[in-house]
Amino acid sequence: MRTTSDTQQVVVFALEGNEFGIDITEVREIDRLVPITRVPRVPAHVEGIINLRGQLVPVVDLRTRLGMPHAIPTKSARIIVAEIGARSIGMIVDEVREVVRIPVDQIDRSEGVLEGLANEFVGALGRVDERLIILLDVERVLGAEAPTVGADKEDA
Amino acid sequence: MNDDSFDRSELIRYFKDESDELLQQVDADLLKLEPLAASSRTDPEIINSLFRALHTIKGSAGMLELHDVSAFAHKLENVCDLVRNGRLPVSSVLIEILFEGRDLLNAYIRAGVDGTPVPQTGIGFAERLDTVVLRLSGPEENESPQVAAERGGAASAKSRPRTIRVDIARLDVLLDLVGELVITKNRIMQIGTALARDDGDPAKLFADLNAASALLARTSTDLQEAVMHARMVRISGVFERFPRVVRDLAKSHGKEIELTIEGAETDLDKTIVDEIGEPLMHLVRNCIDHGIESPKRRRECGKPEAGRIELRAAHEGNSVVVQISDDGGGVNLDRVRERGIALGLINPDARQTERELLELLFVPGFSTARSVSELSGRGVGMDVVRRAIGRLSGTLEVASRPGLGTTFTIRLPLTLAILGALLVRIAGELYAIPLDAVSVSLRIDAAEIADTQTGEMFAHREQVLPLIRGAEFFELGALPEKDDDVLVVVLRAANREVGLVVDEFVGDQEIVVKPLSELVGPVAGIAGGTILGDGSIALIVDPNALISEVHRGPGSIVVSGAMHQR
Repeated sequence: MRTTSDTQQVVVFALEGNEFGIDITEVREIDRLVPITRVPRVPAHVEGIINLRGQLVPVVDLRTRLGMPHAIPTKSARIIVAEIGARSIGMIVDEVREVVRIPVDQIDRSEGVLEGLANEFVGALGRVDERLIILLDVERVLGAEAPTVGADKEDA
Repeated sequence: MNDDSFDRSELIRYFKDESDELLQQVDADLLKLEPLAASSRTDPEIINSLFRALHTIKGSAGMLELHDVSAFAHKLENVCDLVRNGRLPVSSVLIEILFEGRDLLNAYIRAGVDGTPVPQTGIGFAERLDTVVLRLSGPEENESPQVAAERGGAASAKSRPRTIRVDIARLDVLLDLVGELVITKNRIMQIGTALARDDGDPAKLFADLNAASALLARTSTDLQEAVMHARMVRISGVFERFPRVVRDLAKSHGKEIELTIEGAETDLDKTIVDEIGEPLMHLVRNCIDHGIESPKRRRECGKPEAGRIELRAAHEGNSVVVQISDDGGGVNLDRVRERGIALGLINPDARQTERELLELLFVPGFSTARSVSELSGRGVGMDVVRRAIGRLSGTLEVASRPGLGTTFTIRLPLTLAILGALLVRIAGELYAIPLDAVSVSLRIDAAEIADTQTGEMFAHREQVLPLIRGAEFFELGALPEKDDDVLVVVLRAANREVGLVVDEFVGDQEIVVKPLSELVGPVAGIAGGTILGDGSIALIVDPNALISEVHRGPGSIVVSGAMHQR
C-alpha cells in the first residue's frame, strides 16, 4: 500500500463535461438531490439549505459558482457535502464518478494552470493517466466571497 | 494541522475561560480592598485570594508557554506577596496601579490567546510599579483611572468563550434520560422483531408499541428540557464586570455612583449571556454619562450626592427581564422634541405622546447629548443597542421620570433554542414567525389597502400600519395577484407594528431554532431555520429586522427618507 504522503485521494466529479476533484478528506458525504429550501437575499450561487439529519446545511450550485451555464439537474446529479472546519456545505455537481489516487508528483500547483473558468478557485491540476482533473480549493470556492447581504454595517 | 495544535487550542480555550473568571476575581478583590485602603487597613483573606488568582494565572500561562503572561502575572503576584508578608502597606495608589496591572494582564492574555499585538505600555508600567512599591512609605493620591476605564470594561466584554461549565448533576440527568432512550429503542426493536416473526399477540404488540412511543415522547421532551438547562448559565458572569466599570467611569467623570446588583443568580441561555454584555455595558455607560448628574447639580436638586444605578435581573414567566435604572435627571423630553423637529422626524404642529418622543431615542443618529462625550461617543447609538438586543429576540424599552431617573427594560427569552411559532406560507415556502411577535393574524379586503408614497398601508385598530408583501420582501419572485382577500399577520416588536402579507396560515407549532450556516448568513429578516416533523425546513422570520427595515413609525412620526436609508 502506498502511503498517503505520495498520493492524494480525490473524489472526482463532472461539471459541464470537465472533470473536477476534491480532496477526500474534505468530503463528509455524497447524497442524492433532495428538496432544497430557498433562502432569500443570498448570493446567486447559494441554492438554499437542506436538512442533513437535523443540521441545516447550505447548498451552492457549483455551476453558477464557477460561472458555467445553469442546467436542470439530471438523475445523476449529486450533492457533495464538504466540511471546512466545523462547517458543512453542500455542492451540487452533475455527476460523481469515482475516487482516484493521484501521485503528488502528478499534481501541478503552479499558479494560473487554467485559463478562464474561475481560475481563482482552482487549487491545482492533477494528472491520472491521460486524464486531467481540476482540483478545486473548496475553501476558496465557498469562502472567497462572503455574502454581504444583511451584514450590519453600523458605523454611524 | 496536527493533533498537538488541536490539543493546544483546546487548552488555550480553557485557559481563556479560566483566566476570565480569575481576572473578575481580581477585580472583585481590588474593589473590596479599595475602601479599606482609604483608611490604611487591609484584609489578609482578600490579599490571599488576590494572590491565589494571580498565581493560578501565572501557572496556567506557564504551562501553555505564554511567557509574557506568566512573567507579568509573576510581577503582580510579587507585589501581593509583599503585602501578604506585611512588607508593603495597602494604599489607594497601590490599588490604582494594581487595577492598571490587572488590565494589562488581561491585555497580555488576549495577546497570548488571540495573537493580538503585545501591549506597548507594559514596559513603562513595570517601572512605575517598582517606583510605587519603593516609595510606598508615603502614600499620596495621584491617579489616572481614565486609561483603566478605557481598557477594563471594553476588553473583557469582548471575550466570548465558547465553552460552558455544567453542573455535574445536570449532566447526570442527561445521562439518565439517554439511558431511558436506549431502553425504549430496544423495546421498539423487540416489537419490530416480534412482528416480523409473527410472534405474539398483535393486539398486545400494538399496545406495547403505543406504550413505547408514549415513553419515547416523554423522554425526548425531558431530554430537550434537560439539555436546555445544561445550556443555562447565571447572568452573574456579565453583571460581575459592572462594579469595576462603574467605579472607573464614575471616577473619570467626577461623579459618585453607587451600584446595586440584584438577581445575579438568574439563569439564562448561554448564548444570550454571551451576547448581552455589550448592550448592557452601553446602557450603563449611558446612565453614567447622561443619567446621573454631577454631585453639584444633585446637591442643588436636593438629592444625595452619590447617584445610584441599579442592575436587576429576574424571571418573568417565559422571559427574563433585565433592568438598568438610575436616579438621575431622566430624559429631557423637551430637548428630545426639539431635536426631533430639527431632524425632521416629527411634525412640529402635532402633539406627541411621551412614548412617541422616547421612541425617537432609538432612531439612528439621534442623540440628546449636547456635546459628544468621550464616553458614549463611540459611534454606537441606542438604535444599535436595540438592534443587538433584537438579534437575541429581545426587546428594549425606556421609561423616564423627569428629575427622578431613567429605566431601561430589556426583555429576553429564556432560551433561543425553542419557541412557539406561527407557520405561514409565502410564495410556496414555509416560514415560521415567533408567536411573541404576532399581534394578530387577520384577513383583510384588498380594497382596504391604501397605496401611499411610503408604500402600502392599512388601517388596524385605529392605527395606520405599513404593509410588507412577504414575497417581495424575501425576494421570492412574483406571486399570483389575489384580488379579493389578503392574509395579514400583524407583527409587533419594539413598540411598533407592521402587517406581513402571507399566502396561507398553516398553524401554530413549537419549533427548535437552528442557526443558518455562516456560509449563508446573516440574512436580513431571517433569524434562523427549523426542521418540521416531516423533515422539511421552515425559515424563521426575524420580526425586529423586518420592522426596523420598514422603519415607518405609526402615528405622527413623519418619515424622512434620508434618515432611514442605510
